[in-house]
Amino acid sequence: MLSKIKSMSLEGLNGYLVEIQTDVSGGLPSFDIVGLPDIRVKEAKERVRTSIKNSKVEFPNRKIVVNLSPADKRKEGTFFDLPIAIGILIAINEIKKDILKDFDSTIFLGELSLDGTINRINGILPMCIEAQDLGIKRVVIPKENAIEASIIKNLEIVPVENLKEVIDYLRGEIKITNEFSEISMDLKKENYYNLDFSEVKGQETAKRALEIAAARST
Amino acid sequence: MEEFQNHGEISLAHFGVLFLDELPEFKKNTLEVLRGPLEDRNVTISRVNSTLTYPANFMLIASMNPCPCGFYGTDDNKCNCSENAISRYIGQISGPLLDRIDLHIEVKPVEYKKISSDEKEESSKTIRERVNKAREIQLKRYENLNIYSNSELTPALIEKFCKLDVSCKQVLKKAFEALDLSGRAYGRILKVARTIADLDGKENIEQSHILEAIQYRSLDRKYWKRG
Repeated sequence: MLSKIKSMSLEGLNGYLVEIQTDVSGGLPSFDIVGLPDIRVKEAKERVRTSIKNSKVEFPNRKIVVNLSPADKRKEGTFFDLPIAIGILIAINEIKKDILKDFDSTIFLGELSLDGTINRINGILPMCIEAQDLGIKRVVIPKENAIEASIIKNLEIVPVENLKEVIDYLRGEIKITNEFSEISMDLKKENYYNLDFSEVKGQETAKRALEIAAARST
Repeated sequence: MEEFQNHGEISLAHFGVLFLDELPEFKKNTLEVLRGPLEDRNVTISRVNSTLTYPANFMLIASMNPCPCGFYGTDDNKCNCSENAISRYIGQISGPLLDRIDLHIEVKPVEYKKISSDEKEESSKTIRERVNKAREIQLKRYENLNIYSNSELTPALIEKFCKLDVSCKQVLKKAFEALDLSGRAYGRILKVARTIADLDGKENIEQSHILEAIQYRSLDRKYWKRG
């Protein structure tokens, strides 16, 4: 059966939507990822296989093909682990798409450990900004990225810690709320430094030049 | 493994400071590629598969010795480097790169009397207050222009916000002839003068501001353009 999952990728500092198409069919057991994956994306195979097994779901011993579309753009990073795993679970009917409302407007991002733990990823902010611009309603992301992503409003953030939790959530067995949604980053906080200019004897010109630079002339 | 997308130091320094200590020790071509980003405030990397542009609006601060032994130019003439070695060392920093650095200063040894004195120096807090005030003036002035500071002024905006009176113009003209300054230096001096005036809380650039700005441009006479 074929499944389609939405995820994001990065091109420079711009995010773009990636559709992860997974097909599980009869034939000799194999697991292939196509769509210009780099070595980190290719290695997702082992992480996905093992973490699904360790989340108490049997990994399908069939022919699995995963396509990352648009297939002509280089994909790199480890954040496709989670969406690939979810794609396989949907393709083998372990999870059904219709239980969670707006499933097709949900983005999945996250790196898997062998035991199913979901690790933090890089580049969450540009990807969430693009998701928001595209009108995506929900992002399922590693818990460690939740504070960062909470800066983006108009986006439901679902912080997750392990694959089992995501499976239960998509089966409608548990609810996950973003406990960080009320946290606003205090960007105006004053930094405290141990060193002070009053400790620098002499060197008036150097200090003055630094002052002018800090006042933004360069 | 070759990474297809990786930001370099200058993108990591976006809206921050990139400090390069011992500047002549860097490879010359590494330093030369800084020229583009310093002007454009972004960096474009072309690879086989695609061309990526990363933001790189950073402040470059660099420090260097005047020669391999470090004593050239000091008053007591302790330097024992050959003329050739000094030229080679200083020549690592090309004219065009130097031209893009607005404030050149010479850090001289501090005298014993000064180090041992109990005289109170200005604290970071006082300096910060002055800087913050200058930044606020700029934010307000450029409110509707989608820029934040004097550093981002384009030539047209320089003309608008860095007006000089007759006496300032004369000073600048003299300095230009005497110091053999470039067209790029012109705009940069005006931006520095504008900032100094902001620090001073003055609406217009005055003669003292322009003089101070020019003074930060004169170091290359001593080291780079040695007769």
